[in-house]
Formats: sequence, C-alpha cells, structure tokens
Amino acid sequence: MIEVKHIRKEFVTPKKYPGLKGAIKGLFRREKVRKVAVDDISFTIEDGEIVGYIGSNGAGKSTTIKMMTGILRPTSGEILVNGIDPAKNRKENAAKIGVVFGQRTQLWWDLPLSESFTILREIYDVPREDYESRMAFLNEVLGLQEFFDSPVRTLSLGQRMRADLGAALLHNPKVLYLDEPTIGLDIVVKDNIRKAIRRINREHNTTVILTTHDMGDIEELCSRIIIIDEGRKIYDGTPEHLRDTYGSHRMVRAEVSRPLSGDLWALLQVEPQACIADYDPQRKLVEIRFDKNRLHVPQILHGLMQLTEVSDVHIIETDLAEIVKQIYTHGASEGRA
Amino acid sequence: MKGLRIYLPFTVNEIKRQMSYKGAFYLFILISTFGSFVSYFLWSAIYGSSPQAVLGGLSRSEMTVYIFMVYVTSAIVNISISDWVSEDVVKGTVAMQLIKPMDYRLSLIARATGVMAYQFVLPSVFIWIGLEVYKYFVLGLGFTALANIGLYLLSSLMSFLIFVLFDFCVGMIAFFTNYIFGLLMVKEALLSFLTGQLIPLSFFPAAVQRIFDFLPFSSMIYTPVMIYLGKYRGGELAWVLLRQLIWVLLLYGLGSLIWRRVTKRLVVLGG
Repeated sequence: MIEVKHIRKEFVTPKKYPGLKGAIKGLFRREKVRKVAVDDISFTIEDGEIVGYIGSNGAGKSTTIKMMTGILRPTSGEILVNGIDPAKNRKENAAKIGVVFGQRTQLWWDLPLSESFTILREIYDVPREDYESRMAFLNEVLGLQEFFDSPVRTLSLGQRMRADLGAALLHNPKVLYLDEPTIGLDIVVKDNIRKAIRRINREHNTTVILTTHDMGDIEELCSRIIIIDEGRKIYDGTPEHLRDTYGSHRMVRAEVSRPLSGDLWALLQVEPQACIADYDPQRKLVEIRFDKNRLHVPQILHGLMQLTEVSDVHIIETDLAEIVKQIYTHGASEGRA
Repeated sequence: MKGLRIYLPFTVNEIKRQMSYKGAFYLFILISTFGSFVSYFLWSAIYGSSPQAVLGGLSRSEMTVYIFMVYVTSAIVNISISDWVSEDVVKGTVAMQLIKPMDYRLSLIARATGVMAYQFVLPSVFIWIGLEVYKYFVLGLGFTALANIGLYLLSSLMSFLIFVLFDFCVGMIAFFTNYIFGLLMVKEALLSFLTGQLIPLSFFPAAVQRIFDFLPFSSMIYTPVMIYLGKYRGGELAWVLLRQLIWVLLLYGLGSLIWRRVTKRLVVLGG
C-alpha cells in the first residue's frame, strides 16, 4: 500500500536575467525564485492497483514519481511505500520497487544488454533459480532474446523500452513506477508494452503507477486515474466516472443530402445549447453535439430524419482525451485567475 | 563484505568499458608518457646546468625515478570521478543511479577501482618494470627493496582512496551549480601542482611545505613516490602513512556529510 500525505515540493532556483547584461547582473545579484512543483497532494493506492497519474507538461507528475521513488525529498508531507519512507530509507525502498523513466535508461549504454541484466541480478541480489525463471517470463512477455546480446546503444527505442521494463521487473518488485513508458513508440510496440504491464499486474499482483500523455494507456490499463494540474490534485477516481461527470456531451455525425430545413433543438423542445447542429456543406455532414442527460440518440435520429434525408450515421462517444483536454485548459485558466 | 559484493560488477564493467574504447586509451598513454619524457629532459637540463649535484634533496638519478614513478602512481591514483558525477548531474542520469538499492559514492569508487586495475596493468606495470631495469643497468642504483615496494603499494592504495574521496566532494559541487567543467579544469591544474606531480614538494620553501602538511594533496602522489625512493624512515614513515589514513577517514566523513545535504536539496534536471 502506498500512502501519500499532504506532500509539497518547492524548488528554489537563482533568478536568471535576460541577455548578456542580465548574465553579468546575475553574477552579482542572487535573487531566488521559489517554484512550487507539487502542492499538498494526498492519495492512497492499494496493492495490485493500476493507477494512471496524468497532467499536462510541467504539472508535477514526474516530481511526484521522483518523490515516491526516493530520488527527491518532499519539502513537507510524508510518503509511505509499504511502510517505508522512501526519502529516509532510499536503499531499502529501492530494493522493492521497479522504475522506468521513459526518457532515460537505467541500462549500461556501452555494454550488451545481457551484461546489464547480469549486473542488475547482482545489485538486487536475485538468486540464480529466480533469475532463470524470471528471465524466461520476461522473454516471453517482452521478447528480449531478439536483442539480448546487442549493445544497448544499438537498440531501437521500442527495444530499449522493452529492455528497460524488463530490467525494472527483474527483481519482482512490489511496486512498479512507469514515467511515460510508451513515449515515442509505435502502435504495435505500445500494445505489447501494455499487454506486458497487464500480465505482470495480474500474475504478480504488482502495483503499477504510470504517468502518460497517451489516453490509450489509461483506457486500456487503468482502473483509476489521478489528474493533477499546477501541482494540485484535481481528480481522483475511475475513468468511467470521469467520463460521466465531465463528458456530458455526445455527438452524432450524419451524412445528409441537403441542409437541415429547420432547427433541431426547436423540434425536440430543448434550449439551443443542449443540442447544437453544425452543417458542413462541402462534405455534406451534419455534426450534432447534445447533452446526453437530456436527449437520447433515437430522439436525435428521429428529429434529424424529419429535417433532412440521412444516408449514414456515426455515433461518437466523447473520448477521454477530449475530456482531459477540457480539464487541463479549464484548470490552467483557473490557476491563473 | 556481502554489502560490498554488489559493487563488484561496477568494477568489472568499468574494465570492460575501458577495453571497448581502446583507441582513446592508447592515445591517453601516448600523450601522458610524452609528458613524462618532456619533464625528464627538462630536469636533465636543470641538473646539467646546476653546480650542485643534489636539488631539493634529490639526486639526478633519483629525480629520474621520481618523474616516472609519478607517472606510474598518477595512472592508478588520479581517477577523476567528479567527471562522472558532473555527467550524471548535467544529463539527469543521477536519477537512474538513485533508483537502485546502492550507495552512489560506493558505486563510483567501485568504477574507479576498475579504471585503477586496468591502468595498473596497462601501462603502469610495464613502465615500472622498464624503470627498474633502467635503474639497475644504467643508473647503477640496484633494484628497489621489496619492503619499499610493499609500502609503496599500501601507500598508493590509500592515495587512491584519498583522491577519489576528495574528488567525490568536488563532484558534489555540480549539484549546486549544475555545471562544473571549468572548475574541473582548475582542479586538474591545481592538483598537478599541489600533489607534487609537476615539481617535487621538497622544492617549495619550508613555510609552504608546512602548509602542505595540513592539506590532503601531498598524500595523493608525493607521499607514495617518496616512500618508493626510501626517503622516509622509522617514525617519519609511520607518520606519513598514518596521515594518509587520517585523510581517508576525514574525507570519507566529509563526503557523507555533503551527500546528506545534497540529497535534501537535489534537483534532477530534465523531465
């Protein structure tokens, strides 16, 4: 179980002045700028959960992950990972967790991948039998044998990410932290990585905390999401609940032969903003956004057919990305005010 | 001992890494031996034009041994781990070191040990043997006594520890300034002077030498080389070795202290 209680992280950096003149000024003056990266965040994660930790760039996701892994020390507040404070007992905590930072590698750059695994086996003190069975499992899930003897620097991004994930799992950690594990990967590799994460979670009851910008990761993996913005937690719950609460609109897209002959909202007896129809004369498409709490798809279709001739219809579910985008922009403007 | 075993792979790996960059390594040997010969001819000229046969307590033959033993010693002592620290800080890879259940400093020292082991075999031992042969057949001084060699090796090992522990503290500055390349250049220049690499410390005025006694630098290279030359006897010998041991302990403590402060205010660059 991971308990995060009211953590806050401030960074103090010397103020930089613009231009050459500013650089000289900076030599003599030392004004400090205090930046709050994480502001009073609390949550509890149970064993075996897969939690998506999302937020826009610079929202404080990576900072939180770094505090949970013991790399950074919170300015205030407390973190307990299975009863261990990662900042105070970094080594003890590190022995029980696996970490992948998608933009970095923990592998030895100049050496064959196999060497990295041998070193990690020693560092984490994995018994030989466990190592053998673990490697068999990782080979099966991640297909490491294809490039096991190649130097790490020659691996493609997808291979390197699989290798890094394997390296993080070698000692069978209780908790797995993934910071953007699918960044820059193609669809097939992404899918493999997701499958691997799911299997590991299922078979070993590993707790997974992942940050990502890819809503596909969230939809396919996470039973719970935490959204942060400007260092504050703004949502904590299931993706479905998020969709229900924030995504109150659905959309119907219809191919039609001619423009609508009247107002759909008037026909359906609702106010204009509950049912907005847009006609694109070039593609002969009508897009209708409607409040799903007020109207239902059959009503819309019925009304539409009275106003025009319909040749094809698509019903579009609001996707998570759209909702999250709304939250980010909304949250950011709130923060500025 | 079990605790230290996990650092062994770092040592082994560093040896492998060194071997995979052979070209750069031989170039390094070539350049540094070249430097030693320049310094040899320079000192030959100085001795040749001096009316005295002994300068700074060293005869011309002893100076030859000094120059080449400095070379042998610095190859196994002078291993700049602050370069690695600054690289880890600038690239942000220090995060990847901290997620492993290990001590960052010990892992660096383990890596440095790998470099030391490699450089001890290539080229130090060969230069050393060459020097002994030269000393016996050309200078007519006879071989160095086994006791001196043993004491030299012990002293060099402590010199290595003093150097890397000191250099770790220097590297820690990178966490505060983020960039220390310029500082490392200054460090190189100062050390070549203060450790006796360039000029034997016995050439400095007595007052300056007294100050050197309170600094760790003379213990880095000057001490083992002077032991090799048999310049210390009895109580003095015990004292210089003890002083080295004290520096090992002091710098170890200082490094731990700084590290504790650094982890409190650590900023990981990039993402």
